[in-house]
Amino acid sequence: MGVVYAKELPSNGPNQVDDSHSQHEVVEREEVEVDLAKTPAHVQKVHIDGLGRTKNDFVTDEVDELFKAENFEDMIKKCAETKMKLNNLGIFKKISILVDTSKGEKARPDGYEVTFKVEEMRRVGGTLNTHVGTNDGTVSVGAKLPNIFGRGEKFDATYTYGTKNTVGYNATFRRPLKINKKWSSVSSSIYRYSGDFPWSGYSETNTGIDLNFNFKSIFGDHALGWDGVWRDLGCINRQTAFVVREQCGHTLKSSLKHTVVQDHRDNKILPNHGSYLRITEEFAGLGGDVQFLKHDMELQLNRSFILDTVLQLCLAGGVMKGLHGKTMLNDRFYVGGPLTLRGFNLRGAGPNSDGNSLGAETYLCGGLHMYTPLPFRPGKGGFGELFRTHFFVNAGNAVNVDFNTTAIENLQQLVDTVRLTYGMGVVLNLGGVARLELNYCIPVKSQPGDSVNPGVQFGIGVSYL
Amino acid sequence: MASLIEQPIAVELGASEPWPDNVCLFQPYENKQILLPDAASCVSVRTFLNMCGLKYTVELRNNAENMSPSGIVPFMKIGPFLISELDPIIAFINTKGHHLSDNLNDSERAEMRAYMSLIDKVMVNAELYLTWCETTTYTEVTKIRYGSPYPWPLNIILPWKRQMEIGRKLKALGWAQKTYEEVCEEVRTCCSALSERLGNQQYFFGNRPSEIDALVFGHLFTILSTSQPKMDLAHIVGEFENLAAFCIHIDNKYFTEIWRNDSTAEIQRHQEGNGQTSNGENSDDSFVKLNGD
Repeated sequence: MGVVYAKELPSNGPNQVDDSHSQHEVVEREEVEVDLAKTPAHVQKVHIDGLGRTKNDFVTDEVDELFKAENFEDMIKKCAETKMKLNNLGIFKKISILVDTSKGEKARPDGYEVTFKVEEMRRVGGTLNTHVGTNDGTVSVGAKLPNIFGRGEKFDATYTYGTKNTVGYNATFRRPLKINKKWSSVSSSIYRYSGDFPWSGYSETNTGIDLNFNFKSIFGDHALGWDGVWRDLGCINRQTAFVVREQCGHTLKSSLKHTVVQDHRDNKILPNHGSYLRITEEFAGLGGDVQFLKHDMELQLNRSFILDTVLQLCLAGGVMKGLHGKTMLNDRFYVGGPLTLRGFNLRGAGPNSDGNSLGAETYLCGGLHMYTPLPFRPGKGGFGELFRTHFFVNAGNAVNVDFNTTAIENLQQLVDTVRLTYGMGVVLNLGGVARLELNYCIPVKSQPGDSVNPGVQFGIGVSYL
Repeated sequence: MASLIEQPIAVELGASEPWPDNVCLFQPYENKQILLPDAASCVSVRTFLNMCGLKYTVELRNNAENMSPSGIVPFMKIGPFLISELDPIIAFINTKGHHLSDNLNDSERAEMRAYMSLIDKVMVNAELYLTWCETTTYTEVTKIRYGSPYPWPLNIILPWKRQMEIGRKLKALGWAQKTYEEVCEEVRTCCSALSERLGNQQYFFGNRPSEIDALVFGHLFTILSTSQPKMDLAHIVGEFENLAAFCIHIDNKYFTEIWRNDSTAEIQRHQEGNGQTSNGENSDDSFVKLNGD
């Protein structure tokens, strides 16, 4: 918001317009530079046009800030901010702003009226997707009901049908809440999904209910939730390891989970600077027959240097303990994959039996990246910015903690059997939500039984190390 | 698809190896979980193994049904192989060189197969009918026992789901439409056929036990010795004196004796934990009941 060019009001009144028409005389428009930061402005009225089923009290809070504007520049800025806020409510399809001078008896000379013209979303929306995976094709049908009761309540339902036996559904109801003038939300969903885990030799079908409470605090964005899920574990085929087979059957997990995320990065996929921290704790055992305590955390630090080089350090680690007996396969930690411990196949490192990875109760994984722009910078400032080359070193390990030995011995085991890879490759930012990598990996340290993938490795995903 | 071929080939290759020491038979818990049809097939398999004189241990798992490659209990772990149900187990053990019916001629063997399929058609379906479709038995026994390993609400959902499955199966076989009386009548006909074949002999064919003896004993003994809210099936079987005598004879010969002689040490070992028991140990309460009858 620097300098705005404004037209000076005609001083002679409206009759001059006729003259200019008849005589085809071009009126000289004088352009005057005005410093908007010093032009006093006061918002006297805010209109929101186009509200149908939305309740007034749901949106009026959002425009409060506007009344605090003191000069013209400030007002324009606040208008844009307010538009963003209204947009974030997720109930409007279109929002346009109109600023006009105040009219009427109480109008001040520096008074303005701001009008937001909004168009509400339709009551019902739908989606239809098809998805083709490695060994399954699915079609999913979805319905969306935004802003059902006029205060941003949203209902979302999807049903997925696969060529194999993957039938899934998900229905979520979300309601925004305002606590201490900050948006938070409560949501609840029922779901069912199934997936095959060929690396571990089992398939899993989950059916459950969850309740979530999302809120913000000085520590970051929190998600506190309860999850009650019925898990059905089955063997994929006859080759499945017997250790995996022993865990097949039905279990019920009822767990409380808390996640806090602090994200200060400028970009989620290819950040230049900023840090990211996620801490998750889960306690399972409020009813059900699965009891464990699980901690998991992830840290990422980014630092940019000369020539657009970015240095990135990623660390992730977790520990869990079964409270009654052993932990289940589908709760444990797994290490390895083209976006985490590169140079290993998915779940490729850690305890295994007959080629099926069994997961571990402790893991530690890290990565050090040096990102540079593409050589010779093709498509600089545009398309080329979605790509980076990177050199990386990854180290990781997953072991089962033996609580009968000392912490030092356990740590020693974790260090002794560490897996290490280095390599280089190209990273592509896919629409700011996913990441695609093509790497050449050289695994330096691996353990017998690991599923190693040296050479070219391709990966796509959301989370990475 | 590869596994369809791989498994028989692997079994074929594995057959040349001797009987391993660590053979396990997996089945659900007998005292609070197992249901009549499963119990019958578990007893059949164990009888067959005892008749062959093969060593094995019984492992009790509450998820035995889910662990089984075919979803049916019992199943055996013989070295690297997993084999479920009586027929495949018999076939596998035959490839290992243990034959019970090799003294029979072809026509006797064919007759034996016919009687075995009679048991599969009638007794198995009648047991399934009684367990899952007969309302009193379902609510008083089946629902509680089948749901016993699971927490609420799975202990309601899973028996219900299973009931639907079995209901569909019996409907396809034309059994779901039958009344309880009709089912009893079927069992009576089957028993009289068996009784006639057995006559005054000790075994169904000749003077040596064969597969049919294991199968018949498994079903009849389980029906006789399991206490149910509706004991009609047991009464029907009990009407045929030679069949009841056959059960007692097999029980004494292949369970009580073996179990007295050589597995005391094993029982002690397995009682220490993890749900294992040795040959026939947990049929204990059933024996008492039968002898009391």
